[in-house]
Amino acid sequence: MPTQAKGSILTRLTIMNMLVSSVALLLACVSFFAYDQITFRQSLVRTLSAQAQIIASNSVSAIVFNDPQSASNTLAALSSSQNISSAGILMLDGRPFAQYSTEAGNPIVTLPDMPRGEVEVHQFRSTHLILVRQILSQGKPVGLVYLRADLKELDQRLRRYAFIAISVLLLSLLAAMLISSAFRKRVAQPIIQLAETAQEVSRKKDYSLRAAATGQDDELAVLVDSFNEMLKEIQNRDRDLQKAHNELEERVTERTRDLVSANRELEAFSYSVSHDLRGPLDALEGFSYLLLKQYGAGLDDQGRELIQQIRASGKRMAELIDDLLNLSRVTTSIMHKAKVDLSAIAREITAELCRSAPHRQVEFILPEDEDVYGDAHLLRIVMENLLRNAWKYTSHHQQARIEFGHQRGDGGNVYFLKDDGSGFDPRSAARLFQPFQRLHSSAEFPSNGIGLATVRRIIQRHGGEVWAEGDIEKGATFFFTLP
Amino acid sequence: MRSLLGKTQSALACLLWAFSLVALLTGSYSQAQEQRPTESQVESAYLYNFGKFVTWPADHAAGVGLFEICVIGKDPFGDMLDATVNGETMNGKKIAIRRISSLPQAAECEVLFISQSEQGRLSTILDTAQRFDLLTVSNIKHFAEHGGIIGLVEQQDRIRFEVNRTAALRSHLILSSELLKVAVKVIEKGGPGS
Repeated sequence: MPTQAKGSILTRLTIMNMLVSSVALLLACVSFFAYDQITFRQSLVRTLSAQAQIIASNSVSAIVFNDPQSASNTLAALSSSQNISSAGILMLDGRPFAQYSTEAGNPIVTLPDMPRGEVEVHQFRSTHLILVRQILSQGKPVGLVYLRADLKELDQRLRRYAFIAISVLLLSLLAAMLISSAFRKRVAQPIIQLAETAQEVSRKKDYSLRAAATGQDDELAVLVDSFNEMLKEIQNRDRDLQKAHNELEERVTERTRDLVSANRELEAFSYSVSHDLRGPLDALEGFSYLLLKQYGAGLDDQGRELIQQIRASGKRMAELIDDLLNLSRVTTSIMHKAKVDLSAIAREITAELCRSAPHRQVEFILPEDEDVYGDAHLLRIVMENLLRNAWKYTSHHQQARIEFGHQRGDGGNVYFLKDDGSGFDPRSAARLFQPFQRLHSSAEFPSNGIGLATVRRIIQRHGGEVWAEGDIEKGATFFFTLP
Repeated sequence: MRSLLGKTQSALACLLWAFSLVALLTGSYSQAQEQRPTESQVESAYLYNFGKFVTWPADHAAGVGLFEICVIGKDPFGDMLDATVNGETMNGKKIAIRRISSLPQAAECEVLFISQSEQGRLSTILDTAQRFDLLTVSNIKHFAEHGGIIGLVEQQDRIRFEVNRTAALRSHLILSSELLKVAVKVIEKGGPGS
């Protein structure tokens, strides 16, 4: 959603600005404060050390002439230093000689050990700094002076710095917010608009939309320009594609129209040719019959034989015309698909074949129930062609074996019809299914070369395929599939 | 307080050894009753310490590599004074104790302690001492009043001292303000010879 995208990019920009400024500021504050703490501590130690030196040199006489009062007076001058809460002068053996304290009573002070060879030592504790210095007279220690300074000021500084840091942090966060809102127009707005345009384009699929220019000369402007350029390119290609598509469609329609009319013409032609051919043929048949019947007695055996040959040729031609009409019909007839039992059809045909030549010894192997889905009339033509083919090409053998069945293939059942007849030259397998192509001489096996072409047409109309395997004198197997 | 003492003592053990006597002498606490220094112990220490707060003329006793504390008359300190200054130095000079009987012997001394036995010829001694730029110290009563520079007095059971600044100036001695600070009395009038 555009609103979500708008919120997220702006928020992220603002947070980034704030984070960067906060981190920078915090680092600056921390380092400055650390530096200040160190220098302040150093200067505190220096100040205390100077005061201790003054007190040490001013209390030598008090110590050597045993005048605690004088030492106390010296210490009392510390009242002008507000951060010193207590101070004292001790004898070398640790006995107190004089003391000073801003608090009531003398606080018990534990002094740090003086390292060997040093005249001064200081120690920072949680609430105060203690500095101890030897009081020297003629280079020899005669006593100790200690000063205890409160670190309240340090705490105060810490608090003051924390307050300043937090104030500046808040101010800078506010400033970061203001700045990022000012930059919203310059940076985020074009991105948001671009995102919105992109979404609109993908939603409406309208490539004529364009992202608004930012009016600036930066990467965003390049992005917007590139985006628009891309849209333009898509639009152009879309148009070209549409144009090509339209042209193609037009061409397809045109070709289809041409094809349909050509086909129709061809069909009409072949039908009329076949039909018209039958007329003279019928006349030829009729008249040759009459000739034989009425004048046959007047002719010698050779004449009658010639007439018989004319009649046989006429019959062959009639069959040829029937086959041609059939081929034309299987191509154009309307299919009525239903469940068809191929084995039942095969049994009927084989029975008929056996009746036509009872002397032949042919073994038929037919399965029970071979149900397929297709046009019963057309599939009967297929089975008839294939079985008659097998019957025909096994006719030169004493004994023959013809098997129909199916096997599992890639795309479903593959049906086959196998015989052990004359077979064919596998190099010519492709020509088998072309109309008017014959691999055997007409004298050897009478054929018009249309049967397998018809089979192929029918199987193809059912969406299946047909092919053959075989070799010379090794039989042939025809396969077909039915989806 | 015990822990404080223990700590400080352990840290300064080596120094304490050398300066225990000074510490003892300057201590004034009643708890240290059994260690309370005797009068002569305190006076010995004072005699040694005065030198630290006094500046002598640059040409005084030049060429003598010693800082001499001279005692004229009957010595009231016995071994105490020698023990106090034993091994000590003053402004880089070794401190030496010399007991003298005649005034000319005092010419190269820095500090001259005048015993009570010399009360009779005090003014003579002071005159000479002034000529020699000596720091005169004595426990003779009203010593500072009479033109001596530092007079030891007993006050509230403690040995203290009075200072005569004029006498010191006359002997060309500069007394440190530190010294004047702890003096019970600073006298600004001339003694004999003024």
